[in-house]
Amino acid sequence: SQLIVAMATAPHTWLRLVPSCRSYSKATRLHKIDYPWKDEPKPHWVRQFEARRVDADLTPENRDWLRQWRLQRVRDAVASSSEAAAAASPLKEPPAARPLWTPRVSQRCGLVGIKLGILPMWYRNGQKVHTTVVQIPDQRVLRWVPPEDLGNYASLREMRPYRLNQSLLPRWLTQQRWGLQLVGAVPADPANFTAQWCGIFKAAGLPPMRKISRFLVSPDAALQPGACLGLHHFRVGDCVDVVARTVNRGFQGVMERHLMEGGPAAHGSTKFHRKMGSAAGGGGPIYRGKRMPGVMGNRFRAARSLPVLRVNTKHRLLFIKGFTPGPPHSYCQIMDSWMLDVRRSLDANPPPMPTYFAEDAPEGGYPEDVYHPDLLPYDQPLELPD
Amino acid sequence: MPPAPSAAAGSCALSLGSRFLFGCRVTAAHRFAASPVQPPSPLHQQPHLQPCRQGRRWLRPELRGVYKPRLSPEAMKEFWRLSGIGPDHSRAKAADQQAEVPPEIKRLYQEALPPIVSQDYRDPIVESLHRAEMMRRRRVINIPEFHVGSILAVSVMDKHAPNKVNRFVGLCILRRHTGLFTTFTLRNMVDQVCVQIEYELYSPSIVSIQLLKLERRLDDNLLYLMDAPHSHCTIPFDMVPEPYSRNDPVPVNRERVRLNPPPWMCKWHLHGYQGIDLEHLYSYLSDKDVAKAIEFSKAYKRYDLLDQYLNRVPVPDADYAFKDIFIQHQELLQHQQQQQ
Repeated sequence: SQLIVAMATAPHTWLRLVPSCRSYSKATRLHKIDYPWKDEPKPHWVRQFEARRVDADLTPENRDWLRQWRLQRVRDAVASSSEAAAAASPLKEPPAARPLWTPRVSQRCGLVGIKLGILPMWYRNGQKVHTTVVQIPDQRVLRWVPPEDLGNYASLREMRPYRLNQSLLPRWLTQQRWGLQLVGAVPADPANFTAQWCGIFKAAGLPPMRKISRFLVSPDAALQPGACLGLHHFRVGDCVDVVARTVNRGFQGVMERHLMEGGPAAHGSTKFHRKMGSAAGGGGPIYRGKRMPGVMGNRFRAARSLPVLRVNTKHRLLFIKGFTPGPPHSYCQIMDSWMLDVRRSLDANPPPMPTYFAEDAPEGGYPEDVYHPDLLPYDQPLELPD
Repeated sequence: MPPAPSAAAGSCALSLGSRFLFGCRVTAAHRFAASPVQPPSPLHQQPHLQPCRQGRRWLRPELRGVYKPRLSPEAMKEFWRLSGIGPDHSRAKAADQQAEVPPEIKRLYQEALPPIVSQDYRDPIVESLHRAEMMRRRRVINIPEFHVGSILAVSVMDKHAPNKVNRFVGLCILRRHTGLFTTFTLRNMVDQVCVQIEYELYSPSIVSIQLLKLERRLDDNLLYLMDAPHSHCTIPFDMVPEPYSRNDPVPVNRERVRLNPPPWMCKWHLHGYQGIDLEHLYSYLSDKDVAKAIEFSKAYKRYDLLDQYLNRVPVPDADYAFKDIFIQHQELLQHQQQQQ
């Protein structure tokens, strides 16, 4: 219940004027032509937030009481669908047929996380490693869209103009091997949202949530609406991909945004120091996708194949090696890595399918901190081999 | 509180305040056309005028005829005392604001303070994790209290060294970052070569940190020693540790260093260093540079509230951090007693 109140700071993407780091190579900037509106959060056809109606007939005390009553209903809905409730109830049985991990076929659902910050740690060989601390908030499965129904799905039904021009549609849309799993995270007061937004959650019997994410999941790992996704969905040692919106650096010129050279600072250069220069050749038209100034950042990018080094059950934290995109307190999607070597290692050591349930817990439960065997906890001295 | 004026057609402009008249050219006659409030009378008959530099400013109707006592000087003083910023607050005073946590905690755990960055980049859970891990590391190794200007001997693991341990003695010239990222730099002369080594305070490859001399200087960092005679940072490797008492205040070494003639690595006269012999320094500079240096060192900074606000840890956050650390410090002492 504390999580509902604590997550009141919604990580909307606001402007962060952070100077970009020019030290990373140009190769990381060479992406195929993409459009800013491709990164629109979905569902974009439903307005999420609504200004709370001020009911002048209510006294302030009654208004507060009603708010507490609404929040308590949200907490009860969250508690009744949690994994603890499922474990405690004598009537509910665990899912009858848990699907098996099928090599080269299975792709599990992911988790929604909130990036908090960076914590340095050390390996047992003395090497330093920076870990990103990601908190896993309350989340539930909203909906499953099978691959056959992708063409009918709302966000894909209305063909956007750039899709008609594109000869290459995304493979998940054409191959239809995977379906869409909608996951809602961070339950909150229904009075903050529009009725349309609350209606999305009504079918699953869930309270409205601040964040809806979609994951590409294979049909054998599909989860039914209302299923609980927890911290132990990922184990220590699993490699994950973290997808998030990068830091918004605002309107930037070509030198900052595309690492262009600009012009000489001196030697008679007249008003040509940080410009683009020529836009096309031979009087021809400027081609689509020409690199020009514009808003930099605030795009979805993925950090691939990052191992989970530590799990903290008290604060519901995952410590992921390396750095993930986005500023602190922004949402991120965490999923089993798509990299081939990670997929092969998962075939050998399958994770809990389709997700973690209470019956997978070890005897005696989990300790507060679960460390990777290569990681050195701070209360242990370093012992280097001779 | 007096009731608001009735919602008559003409007075709506007045009751809604000036925001709907923003950008419009409004005359007094228009504003008071059909309002129940009397039009303004001569200045000396109006006790409800707010004094301001730009001239007359009308008080809101609900504030007219109401006596609002000004804040007493004592109340204002208390406000500025609690704020932690202002000309009366020096950097040292701000840290010792609250008397609940003993001062030795603030001396021992200087890196427990949260970082001075925008609030967007700070998280209470991550900061509490940093503090908890710091205290866990301190169960393995004893990290003594030291300041910039103290002399330390640090032993790190080195697989290529004869005893697998590499010991370095030096003067601490720099101490930066917070939490688990804390680093400190030691400087010394080794075979007539200046050596500066930066150590991470919480790295597990550090075997021991021994304090040889507890001392403080007039500055936060001693980077100007790079342009000073080498005698200032020559410390013998077999130096005997000097005893110190935790209860005594940290001794301050007020020596003023005479720098070598320019060229220098940095414009030392523009950073407000107190530990440099300024007369000697200015003798190397042109009049223009001296004027610039004097301009920089003027005491106006104690009145620059925004500079203080941006470059200091907020007092409530500092208190919370030190209280959290104090509790863990007591647990650490119990753990050490049990081990003995």
